[in-house]
This record gives sequence, C-alpha cells and structure tokens, in this order.
Amino acid sequence: MVRLEDLLLEGSPGKRVLLLGNEAIARGVLENGIEVVTTYPGTPASEIGDSVSLVAKDAGVYMEYSANEKVAVEVAAGAAASGVRVLVAMKHVGVNVAADALMTLAYVGVRAAYILVTADDPNCYSSQNEQDNRYYALLANLPMLEPSSPQEAKDMVGYAVEISEKLELPCIIRTTTRISHTRGPVTLGKILKPNLKGKFIRDVKRFVMVPANSRIQHRVLLEKMEKAARISEESPYNLIVREGKSRVGIISSSAAYNYVLEAVDKLGLDVSILRLGMTHPLPKNKIIEFMKKHDRIIIVEELEPYLEFQIRALAKDYVPSVQIHGRADHPKLFPKYSEFSTRMVIEALSGVLGKKLPIDFERIDRKYAEASSILLPRPPILCPGCPHRASFYVIKRVTGGKAICTTDIGCYALGIQPPLQIGDMLICMGASVGTASGISKVIEENVVAVIGDSTFFHAALPGLVNAVYNNHNFVLIVLDNLTTAMTGHQPHPGTGMTGTGVPGKRILIEDVAKGCGVEYVKVVNPFDVDEAVQVLREAIQHKGVAVLVFRAPCALLVTAEKRRKAEPIVPAKILSEECTSCMACIRLIGCPALVPSNGKVVINDALCVGCMLCAKVCPYNAIVKADGGEHS
Amino acid sequence: MKEFNIVLAGVGGQGVLLASQILGVSAVKEGFNVRVSEIHGMAQRGGAVVSHVRIGEKVYSPTVLEGDADVILGFEPLEALRNMKYASQKTLVIISKETIVPTGFSLEPVQYPSFDEMVAKIRIFTEKLVVIDALELARKAGSPITRNIVLLGALAACNVLPIRTETLRETIKELVRPAYLEMNLKAFNLGYETVKK
Repeated sequence: MVRLEDLLLEGSPGKRVLLLGNEAIARGVLENGIEVVTTYPGTPASEIGDSVSLVAKDAGVYMEYSANEKVAVEVAAGAAASGVRVLVAMKHVGVNVAADALMTLAYVGVRAAYILVTADDPNCYSSQNEQDNRYYALLANLPMLEPSSPQEAKDMVGYAVEISEKLELPCIIRTTTRISHTRGPVTLGKILKPNLKGKFIRDVKRFVMVPANSRIQHRVLLEKMEKAARISEESPYNLIVREGKSRVGIISSSAAYNYVLEAVDKLGLDVSILRLGMTHPLPKNKIIEFMKKHDRIIIVEELEPYLEFQIRALAKDYVPSVQIHGRADHPKLFPKYSEFSTRMVIEALSGVLGKKLPIDFERIDRKYAEASSILLPRPPILCPGCPHRASFYVIKRVTGGKAICTTDIGCYALGIQPPLQIGDMLICMGASVGTASGISKVIEENVVAVIGDSTFFHAALPGLVNAVYNNHNFVLIVLDNLTTAMTGHQPHPGTGMTGTGVPGKRILIEDVAKGCGVEYVKVVNPFDVDEAVQVLREAIQHKGVAVLVFRAPCALLVTAEKRRKAEPIVPAKILSEECTSCMACIRLIGCPALVPSNGKVVINDALCVGCMLCAKVCPYNAIVKADGGEHS
Repeated sequence: MKEFNIVLAGVGGQGVLLASQILGVSAVKEGFNVRVSEIHGMAQRGGAVVSHVRIGEKVYSPTVLEGDADVILGFEPLEALRNMKYASQKTLVIISKETIVPTGFSLEPVQYPSFDEMVAKIRIFTEKLVVIDALELARKAGSPITRNIVLLGALAACNVLPIRTETLRETIKELVRPAYLEMNLKAFNLGYETVKK
C-alpha cells in the first residue's frame, strides 16, 4: 500500500504523483524547510494540517492544531519572529478570527518566512458564507499569491517563502475549494530538512506595538509593499500566457483562469490572456501595458470585483481608451456569488463578445428539466448512529420543540433537517453562546444553545464567561463527540491527544464550565435517553447558565474502530410480529437507515450501525439487535 | 487526444472519493494529465456526492462541462439522474441498482421514484446504459464497502477508458488497506466479469 505519508516524504525529485491541492501545499512545506505548521481545521483547508501531521515527526516539523485560528497565527508569529520558517493554514472565515493578530503582525513583520494559507469557499460547499479573502491582503498590506492547480499550490509555497523573507512580511496564499480539493499531477522537488535553530533577538521598536512604535512600523510596512509591487511586476506568475491577434484581452486568476482557458478553446477565440498569480500588490505596469495593446479587456474572477475595481481605476488613469468588461457592466454574466464553471465563462465571453454559443446549453437544460422532474433533494444529514441525533431527540422531547435553540458550526448544524429541526440561529463559531444570551434576555421561552466540543474550545469561552458574569439564563449543551468530526476527525484540547499523536493534557469541558463559574454542570451520554431527558429538565429549571456535556463518540469513529479490530457491526432488526407500522421511529428520529417500504419500516442494514436509538424510541419494543444481543 | 471525462455520482459513504482517486492515480501512471474534483466536509454527510475525473494531455478545469461526460458512473440511480446534465447521446451511463431513499422525505407523499422510471428519464439523454447490482456483488466479495470497486470493475469491462485494466488493479493494490485487498480485488473482478458477460 502506498500511503499519503509515503508520497509526502518521497525522496526522489522529479517524480510525478497525484496530490490534492492541500496535500501539495503540505509537500511544499517539506520542500522549503518550513519548521512550524499551525492550523485550526476547516473545510476546504483541513487537509493541509492533516497531511503535515502525518509526516511531522519524520520530517522534523513541529505541527499543532491550535485552539483557534487567532492562536495559530500568533504561535506561528512567535516562531517566525525567532527566525524559523512557518506556515499557518485556515479556511476563509478563520481569517476573521485571526484578523486582529494578522493586521498588526503585518506591522512588525517576520524574521523568517511566514506563509498564511486561506482557503476560500465560493458556493459555500461547507461554509456559512462565501466571503472573498483577497481583501485581507489589501486591508493588511500583505503580498498575496493565488495558485490555479495543485502543482502551483506546491510551487507557490517556495515562491512565498522567497517573497516573505525578502520583505520580512507574512505572505498570503489564497486558494479556493476548487484548488484545495482538486487532485492533479505534481512533480516533486527536493526535500529540505529544517535545521534552523530559533533565536529571539530583542528589538522593542519593531516587535512591541505601542502607538509610538506602531506609527513608525506602519510606514515601514508601506515601504515594504512598494518593494512588493516591484516583485509583482517581475513575477513569473503574472504572465501573458497567450497572445491573440484580436484586440481583445482577458485578465484572470485562481480557479477562474482554468475555466477561461477551456472556454477560449471551445469558443475558438483569438484573444490574449494575462494570468495573474500574484494578486497583491498587482503588477500595475504589466496590466497597463497589456491594456494598451487591446481595445477591450474582459476581467474574469469569482466573487468580489477585487481585480476589476483596481484595474478599472488603472484604466481610467492610464489607458482611458480601453473598454473594460466585467461585473460592473455585465453583473448577470459575471455574478458576485457562487463559483464559476467552464459553461458560465463560455456564456459570459460569448455574451460580452456577441459570439454564438458553441454548445446548445438550452437544449441540455430543457432535457434536464424533463429528466429531473422526478428528482428528490438529498441534503447532507446526520450519519446513522450519530450521537447528535440522540441529543436532538432528547432536546425535542423535553422542550416540545418550543425552546429557541441557537446552534453552531459543525455536523450538528445538520440538526435543522426534519424531523428533529433543532437550530434557530447560526452565524459563526461560538456564536450559539452569545446569541443565546441575547435571546434569553428578551424572550419568555426557554433558550437552549448547542455547540460542538472542538467549537467550544475554539470560541465559546468568552461567551460563556460573559453569560455567567452578566446573569444570563439558558442551557448550553456541549455535544461532545470527542473529535472535530466535520473536518475529518482532528483532535482538540478535550481529547488529550495532540496533532502529531503525542499525548497532551486533556482538558475536560465540564471542568472548564465549572472554572467559568457555571453552577449547574452535568455530563451524560445522550444514548442514555431517559437519564439525558431527566438532566435536561433539571437544567432548564436552573436559574442562570447551566452547562450539560452530552458525551458519546462520533459514529464514524466507532465504526472505523470496529472495522480496524475486525469486530462485527451488528445492525438493528425489526420484529415483524411486534411492529405495528406506526412509523414513530421514522417520525421521531429520521435516521437514514430507517426506510419506509409499502407502509412498513425496513432497516437498511448496509447503513445501520446498530446504535439502537430507534429501539429506545419505539413504543412497541419492536426493534432489537439483529444478533439478538443486548442494546449497548 | 481529447480529454476523457468521468462523472462519479453517489451518496456520502458509498466510496465515491476513493473510486475517483483510483482513476486519477491510474491516469497519472499512464502519463496523462488529470484533474479530480472532490467535495469534502459538510456536503459529504449522507448527502449527494459527486466527483469529476478529467483525463487528457491538457486539462485545466477540475469540473466537466455540461453535455461533455464520456461516462457517468452512478453509485445510486437517483444520483446518476441528478447529474445527467453532463450527459449527451455519446455518454455511457453505468448505474448500480442500490437505492438509498433520502431521509427527511421518508414520510412525505412524494415517493422515491421506481427504478424503471429513473432509467426511462436517463434514456432521454442516452441509450448507452449498463445496469449492475453492485451492492449484491460487493456482498458476494465480502462487504458492501467494496461496491465502489465493483463499479470500477464494471467500468473497466466497458472498454472505453484510456487506462489499462491492469493499471487500475495496480492502483487498487496501492490505495486499499492490505487487510481488505483480497476482498476488493474480488469485487473488481466480479464487477468486471458481470459486465463482460
């Protein structure tokens, strides 16, 4: 078997292997002597840290899952200030959490390479928003690179190291889901063992940002960015990749650039293409020269008109004769939301240039409309055996669905699906606690906040302290499945295991809650339905903030463990003589393994993992373990 | 060579991602350029999962253009149908008979369509259709978790891939845990032989 760690540690340069964009970035870490990698998991960035964690020990890299992105940025900042190369990875909204540190880190800069990878998620495949993080580079005054393929994702780590050390500034690498989660061939380079010994050399004027120092360092930063602008002009990633005979030029970057190449081909356009791989600062002169050679420029970029605003401003000042096309004049062809595709870019270019479509998309749409008339939606759902299903059943049974439930970022956000329907407000990591405080202050009904274990450590603590201090009144249920499940089962402070498998100190959620001054704290297994119901009833009666830890391991971990040990996974079975086909099981817990069939309930034994929650809610005791064994 | 486009469609947990990775690694072994698009995270949890594999000399976009799929590999018939916008009359559609009823709609009057209805809708696009009971064959091989490999065997048997069947077998050996290897190779052969017949 060839494991990912073997590929990442592969010693022979020149070898071509298939890597995910994120895995390619991890390989970039090893090829560039990066010694410290910090991250908080989040789709679509998670596999960067996960891949490094697999090889950290062998490669001599220190890797950690930090408690949140702000801490990750700070840990890396300390290491880089001490002269060690670092990489920090996070999803786009993670940068919001880290922004406070990042803005002023730009002022002090770094003494060795500092790479910040932000993975954006156009179309919100696994996110609460689709913000465009390119603006962070503009806001913080930091150089930024945008790869278009896994190969470039790896190569740009090396390029970012070079830029970062030349400028003594963090360098941002911005990917999107279609870069991070695309596999492509990557030609490996030489692995460079990190051998730097950290040394912190005091320089109070540079590293201590009191106002008198900050004023000076802000100017230092702006001077560095002038140097960055010169680097961008010369950058091999800002390149005219194609020179056409027509007077039309296209400017594009990131994932959109791939669609442009294919669309131009399908449309048979004879256009020039300027591809931008270093997008902050922009190569102004290169763009001006490109515009001068053309009558019309089309800007193709996903999400915000980040390039377009800047390029339109340049055109106005330097090339007023050129006509710029993009989101401003064609908002429907270049929407500001979701992600692009080859089809969208074909349609957009043909719309702007008045060229006939090479493919009859309307015919495809008509046929698809006819074929899809019988389609049912299939949204993501809680897995069979998921302990959150038991927790939500308990909450619903106790509150009768009348309590207002704030929820948070994680698998448990899927609790909003029928029939459980737990989740009335969700905005960002940790917000279930703060919003529960606000809601409980102003409404009569009970308020229940739910939050995951990893999310609790990430962002709930200030909210919890605030709630206790200010006499708020709600129940906070921590759904502790002993892992960071949604992003791929990373450890967190409550698991006691570090990112590289070295035991760390296990921090118990119940201890933290007590330490925050919460007077009512209880731990219960949600599959012990009766006990959990009892405890929640009491907690709701409690005046003030009550914290319940509903603790049961993620079902995916339980089944994986059984498979590893070659233990059987015994599903549930319906006793047909007892079952009245009342459908209560389906109606109450909505497990995907419970399937209605000709008015009866059937258990899909390819899905069922035998958690036996259905048996506990069945009014007729008609569900048992298929092997006749006891319920666990 | 024009690029070869495969759309793999199924439900989270059916092994769509591993199957697409096996195709991608095999394509690199044969010297091709390749792009495999994946969706991770929340979308994976029991929801509709789709992965695109594009093989060729020059490939840029990770996703297939509408109407441009050479193969749609349907791990579940409703999911195959959901992705028919990528099909044209030249597209080969391979579908597994395993149906997974979406939860949340279980008690609604809207019924999960019959297999024949779904096949009829797929035929609006293409007549090139192969139906296989991948779950049953996977059970025969040793476990339902090998259904993805059964489908790869079925695909290999159709003689349309620009990848040699032996290369697929080699890649399976590389990517599957040793304890499950025998079971998976058996699954591959069962899928292959069933379609060959």
